[in-house]
Amino acid sequence: MFKYLLPIIFPSWRFFSSIGPSPRIEVGFVADKNSEPQEWLPFRALPQSINFPLGLQRLFHNPLWNERLYINTCAEHLFEGHSEFREREIGQRLVVAVLNREIVADDEFHYLVFRIRALESETGQVRDEVVFISKPFALVDIGGAQ
Amino acid sequence: MTLELAVRLAEIILGFAIFQQSLEFMRGQQLEKTLGIVRAVLAVLLMLGLQPLLVESALLVTAVILIRRFQGPYNGGSDTMTLLVLLCLWLSHVAPTRYWQEIALGYLAVQLTLSYFQSGWVKVVNPDWRSGSALQKVFALSAYPVSENARLWAVRPQLMFFISWAVIGFELIFPLALFNQTLLIVALGIAALFHLANACLFGLNRFFWIWPAAFPVIVWFQGRLMNAF
Repeated sequence: MFKYLLPIIFPSWRFFSSIGPSPRIEVGFVADKNSEPQEWLPFRALPQSINFPLGLQRLFHNPLWNERLYINTCAEHLFEGHSEFREREIGQRLVVAVLNREIVADDEFHYLVFRIRALESETGQVRDEVVFISKPFALVDIGGAQ
Repeated sequence: MTLELAVRLAEIILGFAIFQQSLEFMRGQQLEKTLGIVRAVLAVLLMLGLQPLLVESALLVTAVILIRRFQGPYNGGSDTMTLLVLLCLWLSHVAPTRYWQEIALGYLAVQLTLSYFQSGWVKVVNPDWRSGSALQKVFALSAYPVSENARLWAVRPQLMFFISWAVIGFELIFPLALFNQTLLIVALGIAALFHLANACLFGLNRFFWIWPAAFPVIVWFQGRLMNAF
């Protein structure tokens, strides 16, 4: 517990000290655990623009965006090494997004798989590689659906 | 500003920030929903100034549960600042003497100052930040820009260079504002606009609400420093 609390009590304010690889989460669906997804869908793709009323609303209340930032944090932890906890955190939140119909999956699919792409700029070129593919997560309610 | 007034104002703003965070948690998973409801109620009590020591103690307990739940902060720096403000205000209530009260609140003021200065320092020593290319990467590739149109800022290198140096300059000279109260008020106004810009461009809305919770304390601290010297 102290390893989590000490950096908060004695914080280091190194915002954007270096710009590392940036994660992109993509979701795929399979009918059974051993299949591979035929298609990968971006998770919470960015809108083209955000108008003033929506921007103002998001200033006060933006749970989906903050969850997206948390998922990205989990993904960045997975860049550094496998973590059952981080993988489960992302997977369960994606399952909830499907159950809430934020992501639409056909009825034939019973499992969700996600993958993480890492985007990085090196000498003007963008490197884009898949760095993680998750285990399958069953599309069943785990208590977070609205 | 008196120490008592600074604490009261900080508690009102902190209460609002925690209330805002709690409403967002109510959209999460079961434990987050439950804690969100509990923290929202506590946040209202904090804003009203009812039993601040008890309320802040309960908020600290729930904050520790959340940190344990997420194995660290849920929302990075904003959670760190939330807990830091809460802890220092709580310490100011349990402090046995005025001296220790001032130490607790002084620590918060120093951390607020460092949150700008250290951020500026790590940028100014980085050549990518000095050239504007680091900010260009933030807009072009990072997960932060809120829309595709916001990403397009990356294709304007002169703008990136200008913004980078504006941010670095402001963050580095922020501590100088402690020498004059009017200057400090102006600096805090600029800081609030900076957090607003981060909220609009990068969706960092929680930072916009929680950083100002420490502003009354630094205003008190500046006055205390001037009295001491």
